[in-house]
Amino acid sequence: MASLTHYIVLSSILFGLGTIGFLTRRNALILFMSIELMLNAVNLMLVAFSNFMADMAGQVMVLFIFAVAAAEVAVGLAILIGLFRHVREVDITKFNVLKW
Amino acid sequence: MDLYFWVFASMSVLAGLFTIAAKDALPSAMGLLTVFISLASLYLHLHAPLIAIFQVAIYAGAILILVVFVIMLLMAPGERLAAIQANVSYRGSGALLGMCLIGLVLVGTKGVSDIVSMKALPEGFGNPSMFGDLFFRDFLLHFEVVSVLLLVALIGGIYLCKKKL
Repeated sequence: MASLTHYIVLSSILFGLGTIGFLTRRNALILFMSIELMLNAVNLMLVAFSNFMADMAGQVMVLFIFAVAAAEVAVGLAILIGLFRHVREVDITKFNVLKW
Repeated sequence: MDLYFWVFASMSVLAGLFTIAAKDALPSAMGLLTVFISLASLYLHLHAPLIAIFQVAIYAGAILILVVFVIMLLMAPGERLAAIQANVSYRGSGALLGMCLIGLVLVGTKGVSDIVSMKALPEGFGNPSMFGDLFFRDFLLHFEVVSVLLLVALIGGIYLCKKKL
């Protein structure tokens, strides 16, 4: 039986991968997917704690994170499409109008 | 040695690596899909069947489809991927991997009922009915706030997609 520590380590690895992806990639769509990866790592941690502490509130929190992720993707992709109309590019280094 | 955990844990980590390392956005999205499915399998293992269903339905079914749709719209990956798809071994290995995944999920769901947790779980833990009871009683205010958030996101999404921003 996998212990809580296993799940915490797995979740940390996934969160770290998401962070690395977010900080190193330049494609805006891959940045979105890295954020999703981080949110999923947090979900896994919540469900694991919910199971090992026998408290279902963790699962309810996961549902709220689902809602926030859905809202984030809807608005974020709409912003991305709006940006694409101006710059014709998804490379974030090209979005430099506000750069000092 | 918990084979079920190790298989899906390693699968999610490998697919996560693929997600952040893939050259194109579309293969990256497929890697993310694999992460979602393997995490859903781990949720089944953790007595959260409802969350596993939501994971597949909302994340893999709605959010990822939206992302793939935008990738298709903005990046036109068709030409570059056509050459890869013409390769038969690529398709064959994809089909084999998909079949393995389905088999693993079937084996895993069969064994879920035998799993014993560290702490004795209360009767009906993880039931959708218990979940709904908690969700609509203790978390009613949060539920309402989230519904307002989704409405705001809906209006914002429509506004941002106007022709003249």
